[in-house]
Amino acid sequence: MKTGNATILEFAGIAVAVILALLCGFAVILVTSDEPLNALASLLLGPVSNLFNIGTVLNKAVPLIFTGLALAVVFQSGVFSMGAEGQLYAGGFLGALAGVYIHGLTPWLHLPLVLICAMVGGALFAAIAGLLKTYANANEIVTTLMLNFVAILTTSYFVNNMFKDPNSGGFARMPYVNPEILLGKLFPGFPAHAGIVLALLAVVVVYLMLYKTNVGYELRLVGKSSRFAHYGGIATNRVVLTSIMISGAFAGLAGIVEILGVHGTYKDNFSAGLGFDGIIIALLARNHPIGVLIAALFYAYIQVGAQTMQVGSDMPREVAVIMQVMLVLLVSSQAIFVYLKQKYGQKAVK
Amino acid sequence: MWQSLWSQIMDLTLVVVMLRFMTPILLSALGGLISEIAGVINIGLEGLMLISAFTSIAVGSATGSWVLGTLAGVAASVMICYGMGFFSIKLKVDIIIAGFAVNIFGSGFTIFMMSRIYGVSGNYSPSGLNNIPAINIPFIQHIPVLGKLLSGHSLMVWIALISVIFCMLLIYRTPYGVHLRSVGEAPEAAKSLGIPVNRIQYSALAWSGVFAGLAGAYLSMGMTSMFVKDMTAGTGFLALAVVLLGNRNPAGIFFGAIIFGLASAVTTLVQTTPGSPIPSQFIQMIPYVVTIIALVFFAVRKKRRRIVLAQG
Repeated sequence: MKTGNATILEFAGIAVAVILALLCGFAVILVTSDEPLNALASLLLGPVSNLFNIGTVLNKAVPLIFTGLALAVVFQSGVFSMGAEGQLYAGGFLGALAGVYIHGLTPWLHLPLVLICAMVGGALFAAIAGLLKTYANANEIVTTLMLNFVAILTTSYFVNNMFKDPNSGGFARMPYVNPEILLGKLFPGFPAHAGIVLALLAVVVVYLMLYKTNVGYELRLVGKSSRFAHYGGIATNRVVLTSIMISGAFAGLAGIVEILGVHGTYKDNFSAGLGFDGIIIALLARNHPIGVLIAALFYAYIQVGAQTMQVGSDMPREVAVIMQVMLVLLVSSQAIFVYLKQKYGQKAVK
Repeated sequence: MWQSLWSQIMDLTLVVVMLRFMTPILLSALGGLISEIAGVINIGLEGLMLISAFTSIAVGSATGSWVLGTLAGVAASVMICYGMGFFSIKLKVDIIIAGFAVNIFGSGFTIFMMSRIYGVSGNYSPSGLNNIPAINIPFIQHIPVLGKLLSGHSLMVWIALISVIFCMLLIYRTPYGVHLRSVGEAPEAAKSLGIPVNRIQYSALAWSGVFAGLAGAYLSMGMTSMFVKDMTAGTGFLALAVVLLGNRNPAGIFFGAIIFGLASAVTTLVQTTPGSPIPSQFIQMIPYVVTIIALVFFAVRKKRRRIVLAQG
């Protein structure tokens, strides 16, 4: 009963934070725009104004769901990794290599193989940060930030010098992936690609993994109290390494799904911050997989809204950034949430 | 290629370019150092620099004064730091998350302002901007080697070098420095001794704002004469790395900044040299790899020391 109350309060707190952040954005629009109502309308209604935009929201949400899940997993084990961006590149790159250079398989074998390669690529790259943390006790925040650059620069070198499509007309990209394994549109005339199905599947898998398996139990225990878990006989280092590698695998999936669904091949610098957006998603979702799904859809909605606003009014889409920042800060404010719990949680108990 | 690189080393171009790249890294790393010492890791340096770079060029071009521009940039950066302090100290937002938010904010807000004020989205380069001046030292500037080595650098290069000494004195030779360090190492103990922990942490963040602000002003009004969106391009993260590479010590940070400045300088030279056999990506990667290795080194050394202490 008590935990139920706490969850409701948590949820209410997040809802309030979301509303406050939106209001901040509205205030900025009202103050600076010459046509505030027009701007607001296209921000809020643009994403649902036609089928194309709805599809775009789904497409934008897909990689965010994957990176959000990746970070939710690793945050739950108490590791503050900021490395999803680099793992996304590493995984996407390996997956794309398998997609471009392996020929002659039926799509039903080829697609899973490509996805597995991406997961392996992401997980192995994440393992570097994991090993540095578990064996050398190096701060994971800094190592993952640095490793992001290593991944981006290394893949950039490869795609510019070794795997560049000779017919790309100067663009740094690989030859196109076999079209049969691309994630096609769900329905004709609706731009959402099949990645959303994979993303929903991933949400279920992560949920089951975290809450219904031993691995997930140990992972959450280590996150709650590493020392307690250690005394309880859990090999904390192994758990931390596992969680970082699982996280890397999902970041890799984010990369390959974006490649197969949107780009058609590996392009240099194709992510532009999806891994960092994933941090915001995980924070909003309180590291819960179902929360990740909702948060990613909401975040994608705001992004598409900001784009339609940029086209339909005098406001640039960066207004959305102000809302994102407020959202991040308000949602992560422990003081506000502790206050809410003390004030209303007590009453509810009485 | 080797020949051209060698000749640039010989005629000291490399040193001059290195100093240009070193300055923003060094300044923001010193800012990162002070907040790190007080136990508030500021990963928002990147965003602070962007905000300062934009504010200083906006004010600098409007008033025609680089002094006012720089001051405005520093003020803006310090203000954001106080905001960061409010969220992290008062509202208990994790300092890493607060810094992360500042980075997103810095990028988005400057693009937003650029588009609202100047109606451009990529870059803003005002005509007739008075840059932070270069210092030509009389007499010395005509001596062959010494002239190029010492004279003709931006004033901000010298401010950065002096800041190293300033930080050393501040951290190790003043009561305030003792407070900073004690708050960072044992906040509870510091509190029981009557040190105002929160106020010290606010002020440490403000200092990081000052130095990141100077670095930002140099980016838009010294290194270049324009503001380009996301022009920091990872300088803030390099600075963060330098803080750790320098083992949280101003002198160490100075050497770290030189190494990173050198890596950036070589990258540019290689990129601008046609037919280069070294891929620039790998040179760009050096600072990050060096940092990771240094982190491992420090961590292992710390572990050993702890074992030795435990045995002793």
